[in-house]
Amino acid sequence: MRAVVLSVLVVLLAPVLQVSVVNGLALPGGGPDIVLIGVIALAPMLRPGAGASLGFAAGLAADVAPPADHTIGRLALVMCLAGWVCARIPEDAGAGRRAAVAAAVALGATLAAGVLAALLDGTPWGTALAPGVLAWTTGLAVLVTAALSLPPRRRSFGRGRGPRHRPRDPYPPGRRLA
Amino acid sequence: MRAGRRVPALLALASVALIVTDTLTPLGPLRAFGSATYGGLEDATSAGLRWARGERNVAELEAENARLRAELLAARRVASSPAPADGYQAVPAHVVGFGRDGTVTVDAGSEVGVGQDMTVFDGDGLVGRVLRSGPGTATVQLATAAGASIGARLEGSREVGLVTGVPERGLLRLSLLNPAAEVKPGDRVVTLGSRDMRPYVPDVPIGTVVEAEPASDALTRTALVRPFARFTALGLVTVVLGPLPDDATPAVDAAGGKDPAKRDKEKGSSDKKKSDKGGADKGGAEKPEAA
Repeated sequence: MRAVVLSVLVVLLAPVLQVSVVNGLALPGGGPDIVLIGVIALAPMLRPGAGASLGFAAGLAADVAPPADHTIGRLALVMCLAGWVCARIPEDAGAGRRAAVAAAVALGATLAAGVLAALLDGTPWGTALAPGVLAWTTGLAVLVTAALSLPPRRRSFGRGRGPRHRPRDPYPPGRRLA
Repeated sequence: MRAGRRVPALLALASVALIVTDTLTPLGPLRAFGSATYGGLEDATSAGLRWARGERNVAELEAENARLRAELLAARRVASSPAPADGYQAVPAHVVGFGRDGTVTVDAGSEVGVGQDMTVFDGDGLVGRVLRSGPGTATVQLATAAGASIGARLEGSREVGLVTGVPERGLLRLSLLNPAAEVKPGDRVVTLGSRDMRPYVPDVPIGTVVEAEPASDALTRTALVRPFARFTALGLVTVVLGPLPDDATPAVDAAGGKDPAKRDKEKGSSDKKKSDKGGADKGGAEKPEAA
């Protein structure tokens, strides 16, 4: 349920955040791709089919949210595959492996989106494969994924394991045997 | 394993189908949906950001600013230009979204009369033209976009040429039709103006020549132009709706008599047709209020 709510938030708000806030900051090199980072961060909590659906919906949203003026479906294709790959990470994978997959997917998806931009919409190669966007997106995707998969943080997205969820237990931890 | 791959494979196929369809026939309805949904959200986000920065109660000043800029633009025009009008109807708009395709979103749409191929400029110079408009927002193609090409002329010598974007460097390239034309750094470049003032009204400042490029062929003369507008820091812009109606006095023209954000809320009474009709007798924005 929580994953569904977060997915809807990513699909609805990430494209808005991207064009209204991030792109307006004029960061050196172009700034990160928030939609892709959202997909990469969220997809590992979903099953592969759901991860691909999240990627498709988020990509399509980024394709049609103004002021986008490129071929519709370009980002949907790339992010659908990105979401699927990220959702295939095994549940018991460690933080290191998750971060590595996130980096690889962020890198691959940004490059693929750039190649499609150059081929489909005639974007000059220098702009389509801007190294600044690549660096920002990969770096942030790794950071966010690592932060989400570190043990203390992971609890809040887990299924209620760990000591933090014990307060529902009527007995305080120290008096269990009393 | 097979079942697990069916969904992603189907979605990837759907994406490819979308790409093919959009390449063959533009998917207008889908873009209109995106413009209606996300345009509103961008508008709200940007309005919230402006509010948080303390930019309140400036709507009237912005409207007046837009009207004065339009008047100034009209006054700049030299007698030889073809446009018949004495002034322009204009609306103020904020840039609420920046795209990666050399486009921006502005928070004025078809509800205040903004339509395809209208000139957009700001206090510094030409910004671009409206690509398409949704109900409350419009997408503007910047002059530096890869696909933009603008009829232009040198302000001093009146030599005619074409300005295209050089997106990697944030500069523009001016190609003069006369290969023998004199062009030197510091020359000002203005728009040539199109028929019926769409997409560009005449004599909007574009930029200054920074470098005359060595001639690559004998047919054109090219130069690099630094645009006046700062495309990474756009804020308040002015959209030219069209020429002033003949019987309107400058005092009533101001199509930007109200904050566009407020006007967006008066749905039903302020669609494009009515706004145009209003322009015929009284001038743009007064009509929605009266209706």
